[in-house]
Formats: sequence, C-alpha cells, structure tokens
Amino acid sequence: MTLMTSTQDTTIRKNGGVSSLLKLTPLAPFSLIFLFFFCWPIFQILKNSLDQGKGHYGLSAYRLMFTKPYMHAFTTSLQLSFYSSLTAGVIGAVIAFYVHRSKSGFKSIIAMLSGVLANSGGVPLAFMFIAAFGAQGGVVTVLKKLGIDIYGAGFTLYSLTGLILVYSFFQIPLMVLVFTPALEGMRNEWREANNSLGGTNIQFLRWVLIPVLFPAFLASILLLFASAFSAFATARALTGGSVGLVPLVIGSLIDGNVITDQANLGDALAVGMIFVSAVVMVFYGFSLRWARGR
Amino acid sequence: MRKNFAVGVVAAMVVAILPVATSSVSFGAVKASNATSIKDFGGMNGLVTACKKEGKLNVITLPRDWANYGEAMDLFSKAFGVKIFDDNPDGSSAYEVQTIKTAPASKQPDVVDVGVSVLDDAVGNDIFAEYRVATWDAIPNAWKDTLNAKYYGDYAGQIAIMYDTSIPFAPKSIKDLLRPEFKGLVAISGDPTQAQQALMSVFAASVANGGSTSNIQPGIDFFKQLKANGNFVPVNGNTANFAAGAYKVVLNWNFNGPGTVAAAKQLGKNVKFVIPSDAVLQGTPYMQAINKTAPHPACARLWEEFMYSQNKGKITSQLTAADLKLPGDKLFAAILGGQNIFISGGATPIQFPTMVAKKLNIAPPASITSYAGKLAAVTPSADSQAAAKKILVAAWPNL
Repeated sequence: MTLMTSTQDTTIRKNGGVSSLLKLTPLAPFSLIFLFFFCWPIFQILKNSLDQGKGHYGLSAYRLMFTKPYMHAFTTSLQLSFYSSLTAGVIGAVIAFYVHRSKSGFKSIIAMLSGVLANSGGVPLAFMFIAAFGAQGGVVTVLKKLGIDIYGAGFTLYSLTGLILVYSFFQIPLMVLVFTPALEGMRNEWREANNSLGGTNIQFLRWVLIPVLFPAFLASILLLFASAFSAFATARALTGGSVGLVPLVIGSLIDGNVITDQANLGDALAVGMIFVSAVVMVFYGFSLRWARGR
Repeated sequence: MRKNFAVGVVAAMVVAILPVATSSVSFGAVKASNATSIKDFGGMNGLVTACKKEGKLNVITLPRDWANYGEAMDLFSKAFGVKIFDDNPDGSSAYEVQTIKTAPASKQPDVVDVGVSVLDDAVGNDIFAEYRVATWDAIPNAWKDTLNAKYYGDYAGQIAIMYDTSIPFAPKSIKDLLRPEFKGLVAISGDPTQAQQALMSVFAASVANGGSTSNIQPGIDFFKQLKANGNFVPVNGNTANFAAGAYKVVLNWNFNGPGTVAAAKQLGKNVKFVIPSDAVLQGTPYMQAINKTAPHPACARLWEEFMYSQNKGKITSQLTAADLKLPGDKLFAAILGGQNIFISGGATPIQFPTMVAKKLNIAPPASITSYAGKLAAVTPSADSQAAAKKILVAAWPNL
C-alpha cells in the first residue's frame, strides 16, 4: 500500500513536471516582454548610474544624490505620495463602502466611471484644474463672489496641497476600484451573527469589519502610494518644475541636458525611485497575503 | 491572367519604390544629404526641384505665433508645394535635441531651431549636418560654427513683460511684479532648466535685482520671493494657459508680440508688451541647424536658404498661381525672405546690419514695442548660461 502510493506519487510528479512546463509555455511572450521592458531597462539604469564617463565606474552620482537638493526632492515626493494616498484612500474606501451597499445598476455605473477616471491624468487633467482652481479659475471666481477667497486664505493650486487635490481626482476612483473586491468578500451572515449574539454596530465595526478589511485597505493605500510616487506629466504641467518631485528632477536632468558631467545623476535618482517602489511593493505583497488570510 | 497580375504587382512595387529612389538621387557627385552648400545642387533651380520631389519637411517645436514662424511655414509650404509637419510646437530646445537622439526615423526632424545652451550636447553627439547658406558671410562669426558650419544664429529678441490690459496696474519694471496687485498673475515660459526663453527671463530678473548676466542667483531669489508672496504661477506661459486665465502677466520675447496680440484678440482680450525699465536683456540668437539624419535632406537645405534669404517679396496671401509656375530660382526670389519674415514678427534677424546697409530690410510691425530708455542691452554668454543651468537644476525645484 505504501509502495503503491509512492509510485503513484512519482508518476504524478513526473506528469506534473511535464504539464507544468507545458503550462508555462503560454507565459513565454510575457516573460520576453518582462525581460526586455522590465529587467533590461533596470539593468541599463543601474549600469548608467555607475558610469562616470571615459570608462570609469563609481558612486559619484550617488554621492551627489545624497546631497540636500536631491534628498529634498525625495522628501517632497514621499510627502506628496503619503498624503495623497491617505486622503484618497480614506475617501475612496468610504465611497466604495456606500456603493457596495447600493443597487447593482448604480454599482456598475460607479465601477465604469471609476475605471475611466482612475486613468485620467497628465496635461489635460492639470489643465482642467488650472481652469477651475487656478487663481482666476471658474470655481475660485464663483467662490470669491460668494465671499470665500481661498487664495486669500493661502491656498494655491501650484503647491503640494494643490497637487494632493489634483491627484485625488484619479486616486479616489482608483481606491474605489481596488477596494471594492475586498468589500465583495464581506458576508451578510457576519452582521446577522453579531446582531443575534447581541453585538452593537460599533462592536461589529471594531471587532469584525475593521480587522477583516484593514489588510486590504493597507494594500490599496500602498498601491495608491506607488501611483502617486511615479506620476509625472500632471505635476510637470502644473508646477513647471518649481515643486521638486523626483520624476520632475529626473526630467529636467535628461531633457534639460544641464551638465554633461552629471548625466548619470538622473539614472541614480531613478535607481532611488526603483528602491522606494520595491520597498512599497514588498509591503504590498505582505498586506495582500495578510488580507487573503495569512 | 495570373501572369498579368504578377506583372501588375511588380509594376506597383516599382512605382512604390520610385519615390524612395528619387529622393536619394545625386546631383553631380553629391547626395542631398551630403550637400554642404547650394553649389552641390547646381544652384537654386536644382535645390528647388530636389525639394519639390521630396514634398515634405519635418520641423519641430515651432509655435505659429513665435517670431512669425506661422507665416514662414505657410509661405514655404505654398511656394514649393511642401507639406510641413510641426512636432510638439510648445516643446523646448532640449526636446529637439532629445528627439534627434532618440526618435525613430519617421519622427526625425529635418531642421531645428535651438537655444545656445543645448549646443554643446548637440555638437558633442554630432547630430547636425554641415551646411553653409548662400548668405553665410552675413552671419557674424561670433554666432556661427565658423569651422564646421554645423549651426548658425538666426534671430534674437529682448525679454519683455506681456500683460493683459484688464489688470489694475500696468507693470513697467520687473520689480513691479512683486506688487500685491499681481497676486496669482505672473508666469514665465516653462522650466528654466529646459526652455531658453524661461532661462533668459530668470536672467532678466537677475539683472533687474542687482545681479548680472554672469550671476543668476538674484534672479532665482526674485522668483523665490515672487512665489512666497503668491504672485508667481509656475504654469507654462503659453496661449492655452492664458486662455484658461491661469496667468495675466508673463515674461516673454518681444518678438512674440505680434502673434500673441493677434491670438489674444481672438480670445477677446487685449495684451501689451513692454521692455522692463530695470533690465534690457538681449537674448543670444536662436540657432538653426540641419539634422544629420534628416528624412528630407533637400527640403531641409532649401528651408535654411529660405530662412536666411534677405529678399523682399510676396507673402503667402499674395502668391498667385502664375508665381507658383515660375522656375525655382525666380520663385525663390519672388517670395519674402526669412530674415524679413523675422522682422515682420518683431524679431531682430541676425543679418540685420547687412540688410540695413543694402536697404533690404522691411519695416517692423507697429505693435512691437521698441525700447526707448537708456539702459544698455546685455546678453549672457553661452558659458554663463551653462553655469546658470547648473545652479538652476538644484535651486528651481526648491523654489
């Protein structure tokens, strides 16, 4: 009996080996793309960041990266990503929660709308906000007529706060999209069980809803964080490079052809961004696992 | 039947290949892409014929209201039957160089118009072709590549303050822009680490605030102050953003005056240009160059001949069907030359002194503001521009 099982096991394993190879074949095109458009560029950036010209390799670009102006760019980028992902995350989660409890027709409209808005961005989005929330923008002018002078109160669209506002426009829908599946996993029976055992709504929220949803919430926030961290065109159109974000600084180093002896600084900053993204993605992976139930 | 079909296919293929073959046709011993002067085409007739065969010209980052480039493109296009494709009209000089270095063959520009601060990079990467226009000698030596003829200055302007006349206070100096009346109203034309015009605007601010053409720091400090008091709007000072009301005052080349005034009229707005009383910043000339890998090498060279032509002649709306039938050299002589088109746009063409001597210059437009004050015009050298950008790349993001 033992013997039989073990032979069976080997056969299965053998077959498994062949079929898993077969299963992998459809992945070949993806692997190629992954290799050429992911691994190869990263390798190139790493290599260029170390290239000091004339065949010399070294860390001079990284030494420059760790000086004040460039570290400041990282701080600003991280601040923007943190605040925009947190605000959009909370607002998006609340919207997702209410949409989840509404009728299915409304639900699909919101899902469609979120899909579209989550992908809006770039220069058109910036332009839209300039026209509405610029110093002479439509919304600002109307508010002024109503006696509310937001610019007088210190608000400006062309600042970190302004960027957080603009980023929410695609971050909130993105949150709705990524957080909804977690809500779909909730069961009505849980609430019924809570109620029949005499639990209050607050208790339900505290002991069931939040613990169950928190990992998924965290994962979604991290995704928003990465999306804000890498956004480029919107910020560029809105701030003309005067709010220093890492992607914008890289853009001016490459596009501005500022100084040839610092050509590899842009690559070093890019490596810095890859590092931050990698850290975020590791946490994302952990929280996803946690969300799935350990 | 089948055979006929095959013959047809072959014939079609030959026809399809033909234009490619003719475009690389050689003149005497020289190919259009190797031609270094009009002599290699056997004169203007040869050049015009070669370009007409190509029938296309790729230009890059030429706004229509910039120094009257709109008229230049229309005139060239109509006179020689050439379709012009203008890639990214609002782009920067750096974008032009970057495009030549990285874009696929189909997106390569034939000719570029760049600020001097990108020349080192361009020449270092050897992306320009050698060419000397017929009026080469009239370009001052200081502003051309005398050795290899890879680039040549074409026109220049002065930094002016453009403002919407609806604002309550008409600015006269750059320092005026700090006044509380200008809250949320003042812009420049892009990122000074990338756009020549923006870089010159910061230089102008520096000159106005105790700096000089070799010291840009007071200019950076000025914009820091302007941002801190809420006057500075860091959007690109282009027409779209003006239409959206994003800014009402911008530092701009005076040669954009005629085009911008017309564009603003269409939006129902009135704008004025004034040379600031505390800084007369004469820009370094913009440089023309031909892409070494230009997809339309003959038209690229005809375009440069046209841009450096001092001829007085017809503009697009005056060209008749009879004019278009003229032989190449007669047609070229009948149209308004590029140097005069720059004058009509409010810019100072590089060959202006020669033109004045020969009485070939036309009158500038009435809408252009000329400076009547006593300050001498100053110009930052190419080296100090490079040094300034080095400072700006770290300072501007932390404004």
